This record gives sequence, C-alpha cells and structure tokens, in this order.
Amino acid sequence: MTQSAEVPEPPRLDLGGLRRRGWTGDLTFRAILSTLTLGITVVLGVMMVESFISASPVYQKFGIIGFITGSTWAPSFTVYGAWAFIYGTFLTSLIALVIAVPVSVLIALLLTELAPARLRAPLGIAVDLLAAVPSVVYGLWGLLVLVPAMRPLEQAIAGTLGRVVPFFGPPTPGSSYFAAGVILAVMIVPIVSAVTREVFASTPRLQREAVLALGGTRWDVARTVTLPIGRAGLLAAVVLGLGRAMGETIAVTMVIGNSDNIGKSIFSPGFTLASVIANEFNEATETLHPEALIALGTVLLVMSVLVNGAAIAIRNRFTGGSRSGF
Amino acid sequence: MASDAVVVFAPTSRWRRRKANLFAFLAAFAFVLALIPLVAVFGYIFVNGIHSLLSVDFLIQDPPADLSATGGGVRNALIGTLEMTGLASLIAVPIGLAVAIFAIEVGGGLARGARFLIDVLAGLPSIVVGIFVYASVVVTQGHFSGLAGSLALAIVMLPVVTVSAEEILRLTPRPIAEGARALGLARWRAVLSVFVPIGLSGIVTGILLGVSRAIGETAPLIFTSLGNNFFTLDINQPMQALPLLIYRNALNSGFATARDRAFGAALLLIIIVFGFNLVGRWLTARRRLAGSSR
Amino acid sequence: MTAPSDQPRATMSLSPATLQGLEARAAAVDESDVTATQADDVDLAITVRDLSAWYGARRVIRDVSMDIRANAITAIIGPSGSGKSTLLRCLDRMHEVVPGARSSGTVSYQGVDIYDPRIEPAAVRRTIGMVFQQPNPFPTMSIYDNVAAPARFNGLVKGKAAQDELVERCLRQAALWDEVKDKLGHGGTSLSGGQQQRLCIARTLALQPKVLLMDEPCSALDPIATLQVEELMSTLKADYTIIIVTHNMQQASRVSDVTAFFNMGEDRAGYLVESDATRTLFTNPKNQLTEDYVSGRFG
Repeated sequence: MTQSAEVPEPPRLDLGGLRRRGWTGDLTFRAILSTLTLGITVVLGVMMVESFISASPVYQKFGIIGFITGSTWAPSFTVYGAWAFIYGTFLTSLIALVIAVPVSVLIALLLTELAPARLRAPLGIAVDLLAAVPSVVYGLWGLLVLVPAMRPLEQAIAGTLGRVVPFFGPPTPGSSYFAAGVILAVMIVPIVSAVTREVFASTPRLQREAVLALGGTRWDVARTVTLPIGRAGLLAAVVLGLGRAMGETIAVTMVIGNSDNIGKSIFSPGFTLASVIANEFNEATETLHPEALIALGTVLLVMSVLVNGAAIAIRNRFTGGSRSGF
Repeated sequence: MASDAVVVFAPTSRWRRRKANLFAFLAAFAFVLALIPLVAVFGYIFVNGIHSLLSVDFLIQDPPADLSATGGGVRNALIGTLEMTGLASLIAVPIGLAVAIFAIEVGGGLARGARFLIDVLAGLPSIVVGIFVYASVVVTQGHFSGLAGSLALAIVMLPVVTVSAEEILRLTPRPIAEGARALGLARWRAVLSVFVPIGLSGIVTGILLGVSRAIGETAPLIFTSLGNNFFTLDINQPMQALPLLIYRNALNSGFATARDRAFGAALLLIIIVFGFNLVGRWLTARRRLAGSSR
Repeated sequence: MTAPSDQPRATMSLSPATLQGLEARAAAVDESDVTATQADDVDLAITVRDLSAWYGARRVIRDVSMDIRANAITAIIGPSGSGKSTLLRCLDRMHEVVPGARSSGTVSYQGVDIYDPRIEPAAVRRTIGMVFQQPNPFPTMSIYDNVAAPARFNGLVKGKAAQDELVERCLRQAALWDEVKDKLGHGGTSLSGGQQQRLCIARTLALQPKVLLMDEPCSALDPIATLQVEELMSTLKADYTIIIVTHNMQQASRVSDVTAFFNMGEDRAGYLVESDATRTLFTNPKNQLTEDYVSGRFG
C-alpha cells in the first residue's frame, strides 16, 4: 500500500520552468507536511513528559510502587495512594465486560450471520449511534433513571446472595461500582460489537458455505466456523473494550457514588481513576492534591497504553494470520 | 406431496431446530437489549428537555449565577461549545490531514512514529488528554482558558481525522495514482487536486465524526476551559461548554431548575452531535451507493 | 459469444434430455437416449426445468432444463461465465446463501421440488452434498472432527463407536484412511492440497447424501492428486449420483457418463447448449458451438 510513495518518477516532458516550479512545489509541500507531522509529534511528546513532571513530586514522596499500591487516599493528611481507584477501575471495567461482551458478540452474529442482508447496515448504524451519545448525557440518564431503577435489583441480590457472599452484600445506596459497570457496558457495546462484527464478517465465505452445504444451521455456522476462526479478533475486541471502559470518565463519575475507600461489595460506592480525577480536580486545594490527581492520570495513561497496545498487537497477529492461513 | 417431501428430505430434528431458533432469538434479544438505552436516553431527554428548547430565551440568554434560580438559558455554553469546537477543528483538520498524507506519500521513520503516536492517542482516555493540556498549557499560562479547551478537543479529534483520512487515501485506485503522475503532475498537485478530491466525502465523514466526538466531550474541558457562568468570546478566558453545563447542573439536580436546564442542554447537545454524526454517515453511505451502482 | 440470439432455444430443442418430459422418462424408450445409455436402467435423480438464476439484477443462467441420471457422473463443461457453478449451487440451494441471489424455475429430486416452501434448505443439502472448488476443511478442527462434523450438525449417529465407524468408513471411501489413520487428531489444514480435498469429500460422504455435487474439485490440485480424485469418483458412482463442474474437457471425457455443455449468451447469462452421452457429445456433437468448444476452437 505504501508503494504509492515508491512509484518511479515518470519521465517529465514539460519545459524546464514548469519542471522547476513542480519540483520546488514538491519540496515546499513536503516541508509543510514534515513540519506539521514533526510538530505534532513533538508537542504530544512534550505534553506527556510535562504530565509526568507535574506528577513527579508525588512519585518522589511515595515512590512509584508506594503510590500505586497505597490504599489510603487522604488529602487532608497529604497521604496519597492509588490502589482504591485502580481497584475501582478494574472492577467496573470487569462488570462492563461481563455484560457487554456476550451482548456484543450476539449482536455481531446477528449482523453478520442472521439478519437479512439489506437490514444489516441500518441495524449496524443503530448500534453505532449508541457510541454517539455523549458521556455526560449517559451520566444524566444514569443518575436520574438507571440508578433508582436498579436499586430494587441490587437490594434483591444483596438480600439473598449477599448474605452469603459479602462481595454482593449490602448496603445498597444505588450509586455504586455496579451502576458504573452497567452504564459502562452500554457505552462499550458499540465499540466491542463493531470490532467483533468486522472480525466475523471476514470469516472466509468458503468456511461458512461448507457448514451450510453440510446441512448445518446458522448456529452451526457460528459455533464451528465464525467463533473459532474469529477468536483472536474477538479477544482484541474485548481488550479494546476494556481500554475504553477504563478511561470513561463523566458518566462513571455521575453514578459511582464517589468514595475514596475500597468498597467491599460491588454495590458500594467508590471511585475509578478517571472519576476521582474529574471529581476532585476543581476542589484540589490540599498540599500535593493536584499533583496526586495528575499522577493518577499518568497511571491511567500507562494502563491504557498497555491495554490498547495489547489490543493492537492481537489484532495485527490476527490479520497477519488470516492472510497467510486461508 | 408433503409426505413425499418429508420422506425424501428428512427435516432437521426438532431439538436441533430449537437450538438454532434459540440462537436467533438470543441474538435478536441482545440487539433489542442494547438499543433500549439508546431509545430510553433519547426519549427521556427529549420528553424532559423539549419544553426548555422550545423557548427562544433558552438559546439567547445566559444562565443565572445561582443554579437554583429560575430562568435564563445556555447561550454562553452553546457559543463556547461552537467556538472551542470550531477552533479545535481549525487545528486538528490540517494537522490530521497532513499526518495522513505524510504517512502515505512520504513514509519513513517520522511517519511511522507519528502514526504510532496517533494510534496511542486514539486509545487514550480523553481525561488524560485533558491532563496533558493542563500540565503543559494551563500550568504554563497560569489560568484556564477556552484556548486550552480547544487544544484538548483538537487532540481528541486528531486521531479520528487522521485514521479515517489515511484509510480513504489508501483506497485511491492505483491506476488513478499512476495516471496522475504520468500526466506529469507534481506530487503535491496530484495529492491536492486528484487524491484528496476523490476521497473527499470520506475525509469529510472522518472530520464530521471527529467533530461530533469532540462536541460531546466533558472530561478534557474540566482541566482546560473549566467552565464559566458568564458569556465570553475571549479564548483567553475560562469558557463554558454544553457538556460542562450539563455536568454541573446534573450534579445539582436536586434543584428542579438545574435539572431542567441540564435536560434542555442535553437535548440540544444530542441534536448537534447526532446531526454531525448522521450527516457524516450519510455522506459515506451515499458514496458507497454511487460506487456500487457503477 | 458467437451465438445468434435465438440460438439457446433452438439448441435446447436438440437436447434429448430436454425434450423428454416425465412421462417420456417413465417410458424411457426415446431413440436418441438409447444410443446414449442403457435405456432400461435409466433412472433420473434430478430434473431441472426452466431454471434461471440472478445475482442482484444480473441474470447468470437462463432457462435451463435438463435431466440428471442417477448413479452416473454428469459433467458440466463450458467457458467461464457460462453459469456452471451457479447451476450447481442451485441444485442444493446454496445459491440463495449469497446476499441478493435468487432463482426461478423448478429443480426436482425424485419428483419432489427442492424449492417447495415446506422443505428446509438444510434438509436439501443433507441429501444433496457439495464439494467445493477450494479444499475448505474447518481450520480449527482435527481431521477426525472435520469428518465427524456433518454427523454432529445433523445428529446422524449416536455414540462414540458409531461415530468412529462413520469417520473410518468415509475416510476409506475417500481413499484417505491409510494416509491419515495415525494422525486423526492433527489439524485438517496440515494435510496437502490433494489430501485436504479428499478430506472434504470424506466429510461430504459423512453426510450420507444421495447426490454429490462437485464444483471443479480438482482445479486447486496437482495432476497426481487430480487422478486420485478422479479414480475416487468412479468408485463412488455405484452409490452416488455425481455432478461435476469442470473447465477441463479431458477430465470430463475421462470420468463422466453424460456431459452438458453450457455457454454464455449475448445477455451474459449462461444457458445449456446441449447435453448428451459423453462419448457422443465429444465425438459427434449436434451443435456447432459444442463442436467448436470441444475441439478447442474457443473458450
């Protein structure tokens, strides 16, 4: 594909003046492109470095490991530890994935295997539109509708299963890790199902037809061909969804209940990395408090680079494999 | 005849048919389940927000200083959103296109580096982008500003614009690429007068999707433009935006007035975001149809 | 291509198979057919009447009527674009799997219209099995599981022993057993191209179908593998009705009992020029187009 850059220069028949002008034009064009590309690369690099520099007093005081594993967050005592928020980030993302992945996979199968061909595109757009709703609007709805509506469910689980397993136990104030996980699930379904859909759609036609020609049903197609062949791509989609869920901010901030402590139950209020930053930033007046929030941001930065890098690596391996495989 | 048919072609066993039907049912159910929030959110915001939007004051007045007071509108937020997103587009579109063209036409280490950075950026939470701009611009300048907000939104838009433009430009058919060069067109002319126009609708789609994403962003603005209860056009001042206004009012939703203001602003925001989004998709869909009928 | 526009109809009337209605078939005394086959055991498996097929708005085959004999090998030859594969795919309702594809006319198997709305496509495909042009074993399954797959899709056998027996029988029938019996757990795609294709044939046999449709099954194979598959077809003929699409006229003349020649009309839709006993069609075709094609003058 990049070969367009390597097309050999065609013989130029035009006159010297025109040729010179074309040549200088190309140089200028190239210079502009390089400047902009280099510029944005440098600017982004500098911004990342600046963030780490801003956070460095906190890392110096508590140590990188100490900051990450510290489970106490007490700005008034100038004690900062990120663990409660890392925990909240993973817990809410996990809840979101548990709900969103099966739903997304089924939607992807519906849109690649089951739905009539001419309905597939419009149905797909409907799912994509879920991603277009701004986070703050989901938050508003979550806060005023979803959280109150889910409380009876939370109370029912806490009152039965929760008596045995404290992880599902009371109290159930409504705003909670669980509520955040549910709203995150809604928000990551479009991305997970879009990537999964792409993966499933690239299932070799011959494989799909082999199942049908052998008297298989659409379900047989899904379980013997689409899912096994697409499993690497599916994994990439899940990891990508995880990356999205980890960084989602405003909607989570509005429904998670905002507590600096690790909640014992999934129905307890808590914080994710992103939501504690958003919630406390404008009132961060204590010593090192803003720096500590920026440090949380750098933790989130590293986590999402790792997770997204993993997703890209899986996806590259998957596409490379499918090209050579069949 | 029917009995013949059954003898010759034994139907699938009931158990197997049930499994296939259950699968189809679950898939349809999952789809409906996923769309419930979309319909619910839209319906809820519409029902609660429409009466605010129907009054002209809502668009041309600023909100009262006290969130719990009645009256006022969201003019400062609407103008702030438009101004910051517009400025963000002015920054992100040329740079985004330049990086895409550079990656395709020039290539090399710098292009790979920039593209890698953009891929990283695409997966980065927008709140982290907000922190970047805070740490580098706001801290340096010593105050929050609409300019910082625009920068943050531009960085949010950038990967959307670059990735889609690059994808589209790569699709330019090789014969056309070679034909343009064979005509003796200088490379920059070939790019700007042949390739970009061919991919224009796709590129515009990418830009519109980028804009629709940036308009809805709240998190990066908290650290950059901060929000402002008063109307301002000065990008050196803290600036209000619709998502910020919704966020602040929603956190005070105990007051009916604040809640109503949030609903009205949310409906306005949804209309703007969906407008950009759907126009963008429509452009691409139209191009696909035109392509397939050829 | 060079055919006058009225050619298709005219040539089709020359096809004895086409002239024969069901009654004629029951009597089976048509003169021209006697030369082609042993008249007394003519037994028709499939009858095609006025079959047309489209991809979207484009018609790819037009008004095909032909009869297909049971327990014989029918070869379908013709230049590319003459709708051979599409015809084959219409015979087990695989054509309709492609979005936007449709067909009209009737295809009957043992007197039952396979397009009868009361009949499931899957049931048709179970009776009329298909082998594809490219070997397509399931890449995530072992050799054993590949052959067992259709039995699992359709609940054909109960129990492990019966399944083992079916897998071995089909692999033997496909002349692959000796080569793979020690590595049944290996991936299906670890085999060579020719072995993969025989694996796919074994897999189709495991369906226990009555008819085998083969869409250029040797086009991806080397000459030795091709020969193996051709020998296999001759042995399978005793138990199955086989229809093979091939662009290789030598192959058609080597393996088939009956050959049907298709051509692309001026409207770019494929049509049946003539069909006859293979020896007759290759040595004494009734249609000039057929003669040109089999003598290598076009296509």
